[in-house]
Amino acid sequence: MLLAKTLKSSTFRLALIAIGTFGLIASAIFAYVYWSTASYVRSRADRTIMAEQASLRDVYTRSGRDGLIALIAQRVADKGFADHIYLLVGPGPVALAGNLTQWPDGAAEQGWSEFRAPVPSSASANPLVRGVTETLARGDRLLVGSDISDLDGFTARIRAAAIAVIVLIFMLAAGASIGVTRRTVGRIESINATSRAIMLSGLDQRIPLRGSRDEWDRVAENLNLMLDRIQTLMGDVKQVGDNIAHDLRTPLTRMRGRLEKAYHGPRNGDNDAALIGDTIADLDAVLGMFASITRISAIETHARKDAFRTVNLVEIASEVVELYDAAAEQDATRLGLAGDPEVLMTGDRDLLFDAIGNLVDNAIKHGRAGGRVTVTCDNGEGGAVIAVADDGPGIPADQHDHVFKRFYRLERSRYTPGNGLGLSLVAAVASLHGARIELHDNAPGLLVRLCFPGH
Amino acid sequence: MITGAHRRILVVEDDPETAGQLVEQLTSSGYDVDLAANGREALSHGAARDYAVITIDRMLPDIDGIAVMRQMRDDGIAVPFLIISALGEVDDRVRGLRAGGDDYLVKPFSFVELLARLEALGRRSETVAKETILRVGDLAVDLIARTASRGSRRIPLLPKEFQLLEYLARNEGRVVSRAMLLQHVWDLHFDPSTNIIDVYVGRVRRKVDDQQAYPLIHTIRGIGYCLRAPG
Repeated sequence: MLLAKTLKSSTFRLALIAIGTFGLIASAIFAYVYWSTASYVRSRADRTIMAEQASLRDVYTRSGRDGLIALIAQRVADKGFADHIYLLVGPGPVALAGNLTQWPDGAAEQGWSEFRAPVPSSASANPLVRGVTETLARGDRLLVGSDISDLDGFTARIRAAAIAVIVLIFMLAAGASIGVTRRTVGRIESINATSRAIMLSGLDQRIPLRGSRDEWDRVAENLNLMLDRIQTLMGDVKQVGDNIAHDLRTPLTRMRGRLEKAYHGPRNGDNDAALIGDTIADLDAVLGMFASITRISAIETHARKDAFRTVNLVEIASEVVELYDAAAEQDATRLGLAGDPEVLMTGDRDLLFDAIGNLVDNAIKHGRAGGRVTVTCDNGEGGAVIAVADDGPGIPADQHDHVFKRFYRLERSRYTPGNGLGLSLVAAVASLHGARIELHDNAPGLLVRLCFPGH
Repeated sequence: MITGAHRRILVVEDDPETAGQLVEQLTSSGYDVDLAANGREALSHGAARDYAVITIDRMLPDIDGIAVMRQMRDDGIAVPFLIISALGEVDDRVRGLRAGGDDYLVKPFSFVELLARLEALGRRSETVAKETILRVGDLAVDLIARTASRGSRRIPLLPKEFQLLEYLARNEGRVVSRAMLLQHVWDLHFDPSTNIIDVYVGRVRRKVDDQQAYPLIHTIRGIGYCLRAPG
């Protein structure tokens, strides 16, 4: 199983390619060493042979065949020339002089050749000999050669070294690559196993870490963080789904009951008209909730940056204040605007209007009747800042994180009008603008601050 | 009500039931209605006749509603368009308007809202007079001085309150929906989920109608408001 995976893995294939490349390079190096050694040995032999040939030819020219025969005899007897071979033959194949009894197989009739022949100094019977044949003036042929069997030894040794090294390289590389590949395959396999487990059972599985803090651990760590995030989001989605189901079921049940009662009862013009009117209003509320949800989703997917312009936050805030002033008046709340006269920023006017409107609406609804709501726009150090403050009961600090969740409502506001989507929309708009939301205790009351990033 | 020859409306809608409802209700409201079930039919109708308003669905089976609208504009047809879209996101609406639509409505909509918008659009295509003072009963809205008065009594209004009254006065006798007010007075292309518009209009109404011989601003249940003098 693991072996099959190892052989199929991309790491293993890469390792094979690396081994092949190493092998080729090693072979090339040995080939070069062999070639340069051989040519050095040959050229050294050639120089000696040519010098010897020249002096023999010289004697032949001056003293004739007999002089040469005498010299060759002298050479053969000389221990210093024991690594040489000499053979002088007449026009017939008769040996006239030299330390060979017959023309060696493979020796050329003319010019350079390499062949095997007995050499006096050599330990082996038939060492490799390099020789040159020259046809002399009277048709005699002279073969002079020298033992190059040390080249033979060289070759053999180099070949052995090459084979040993290459085998070693292959073994080491194969071992290393199988090890690395197994490790890789093992880690990937554990990630795959976790993925499969997640697909089968659920999001509560995590990829085990080895504590080696290597790149695999980091990959696993990030995947685990991603899984955590997905799990949180799934939880949110489930929460939202439950809330939608609850918030939709209530008006739908009401409508159904109303219609059912009217269906079974006698027709009554005025009552029916009122019932239909109420039902339409309830349906509109349900549709409005859907519209809000899709609107928040659309903002959250960051699809709207194309509507960004330079806007004056104060202008938007003052329009919001003017619009909501009438509502504040109903609660005897004083709604006011404070801060800098001009706060420029880049943003989407509609969305900012909606977000500020929601904050002001919340402040009026959940603040103190007869209290005070203040909207403050400032050119902060980091960028534009808008704050909406009321002097009502505020939000307990442990609920601060929850209020931006969709449909989240504090227990005490469960029965005031609203759908729990307002602050979710504010959060979505803030995130689209890269703004930070802060909730503070206004002692008493709540202070919500949106801090936009600078230009 | 749109009057005279301009009572003909082209409805471009591919869903047969919606189309049937529209045709029936528009006919009973006194319009002559032609129906096109797809973009090609819409183009041929648009070329053949003169319409007061064309209502067009964004998603048509053959050609996109926006493309149909562009094509007609290129052909020199200046009829106001009312885009009806199931794509609720503001971007789509604004894109529709930029492409040459004059107003938009998001599905699902109430028929009264559709009627209110059709009337506003139809009127826009036929009014030419540029009045400087709008009069409804004893209310006078001075568009140059930006002031309003009833009889001899001046009504103190904030700028947005004035714009709201002006918009109501321009649509004298016609129903104006909350969404239309938000769109034309505040330039907002979404519906805040609260009843903030009602509260706001309530305040304007107190300024305009309190201690007067007769009320001018009337609430139309479930849809919006109407500014009209009695009789």
